[in-house]
Amino acid sequence: MTPHPASYRDNSGFVFRYEGNVYRYVHPAYEAHYTRLMGSGLYEALLKKNRLVAHEEVKDAAKFGFTNGSVLLPQQIPFISYPYEWSFDMWKDAALLTLEIAAASLKKQMILKDATPFNIQFYNGKPIFIDTLSFENYEEGKPWVAYRQFCECFLAPLLLMQYCHPDTAKLFSVYPNGIPMDVLVSLLPKRSRWNMNTFLHVHLQAKLSGRQKPAAENKFSRQKLELLLKGLQSYVQNISLKKTKTTWDNYYTDTILGDDYLQAKTKLVTAFISDIQYTTAIDLGANDGHFSLLLGNDKTVIATDADHNCINELYLSIKRTNKVNLLPLVNNLLTPSPAIGWANTERESITARLKAGLVMALALVHHLAIAGNVPLALIADWLHPMGEYLLVEFVPKSDEKVKLLLQHRKDIFDGYTPEDFKAIFTAKYTILKEQQVGHTNRVLFLMKRK
Amino acid sequence: MHFFFLYIDPGSGSYILQMIIAAVLGVSFFFKNFWLSVKAFFTGKKKAKQEDKEEEKDTAE
Repeated sequence: MTPHPASYRDNSGFVFRYEGNVYRYVHPAYEAHYTRLMGSGLYEALLKKNRLVAHEEVKDAAKFGFTNGSVLLPQQIPFISYPYEWSFDMWKDAALLTLEIAAASLKKQMILKDATPFNIQFYNGKPIFIDTLSFENYEEGKPWVAYRQFCECFLAPLLLMQYCHPDTAKLFSVYPNGIPMDVLVSLLPKRSRWNMNTFLHVHLQAKLSGRQKPAAENKFSRQKLELLLKGLQSYVQNISLKKTKTTWDNYYTDTILGDDYLQAKTKLVTAFISDIQYTTAIDLGANDGHFSLLLGNDKTVIATDADHNCINELYLSIKRTNKVNLLPLVNNLLTPSPAIGWANTERESITARLKAGLVMALALVHHLAIAGNVPLALIADWLHPMGEYLLVEFVPKSDEKVKLLLQHRKDIFDGYTPEDFKAIFTAKYTILKEQQVGHTNRVLFLMKRK
Repeated sequence: MHFFFLYIDPGSGSYILQMIIAAVLGVSFFFKNFWLSVKAFFTGKKKAKQEDKEEEKDTAE
């Protein structure tokens, strides 16, 4: 079996794909830790609270060609998202989950040996820990081996979002193994020193890094470790985001595209998708998720938008309303998440991951074509492999919003007309439905891939 | 000089730091608890222990 390209760090085992499912191989060297995880009640306790992914042990491990060790079949996660696509509160919940699991493990004489957000996925509206092999037996007197990693992988992005700008968390895609403390310190404002926790966990850490280890390293204690985890928990709990208003906040309520347009479009979208068959959907440029939320609870929906505030609000509203089939992600379609890591194969690009039965591109094409200069033919090429059905809105040049986009620039978009749009898209799709949205010049299309 | 550090385990330094933080937090939690018991003495309310609350939450969920 070939390990997954991202599964090379830990010699306790690895993840691999087999006949469409993801499996986890457990090396005999990890056996003692695995036995305690399962035998101490820790696994059940975490499972009961939906904190850890469930798994079953595969009886016939020989069919995979292993001569020793065991194989687990974990509960399958339908969509893999990466931390640099999360919004502030998603990061915060993931950090708190890591600390909660570390504290729960300590009660059962175990500890997390690593603390990376790649060990967490969002499933059913909540973060869930997916790395079953991260638990190891706690040796009395040892400090937390993953403390520094926790600071670089969770505290750093959270603090950048708090002190600088929510979008600065994207720096994590440049440093997926953790944002180095010296880089973080150079970006944080000087006043951040006056927060005791930021001073201790960040500024002091940056100063102390590189010091040789003292000879005796077992003078730490479980009580001190509990205190450290408790301290980190209350610190992370108190990190909050300054509210900044963006163009896309209250987009529908504040603009001329008020109630009439929204109601007409809502009706039309509902009618268009009522008789097509799909189980998964992607909402590109989802804004506050108004249209993603129209889809039934039985559909798995990914809602992406470049605007951090919209996605964060959507995540918080999902938490409140328990609309758990929706996964909101921050993603700028003009500069989407790339493939990163070792040999560019560790983490897939978001374009490679976004596949669904229904793709919604509502009031989006004019942004890509006019604000982003992407030709219509390239947009059709990009949407085509993404899904079988396409719900797309065309906003012509006569529209107020497009006029605004063209206000301060030369109109070089001769090929941006309803006729061109239809000609280009019908080469790749069959138009099933087509209708004007309310009293506007905007047209909504439902298309099926040829 | 910077490259010299590349040969040192990146986790080094964090042990000393964890000792310092545990000590600082120990002192601050001590004073917090002390303050809570002073408050509890004057208000007459019993100080609910954090751990008891957690246990309750565990069983409730």
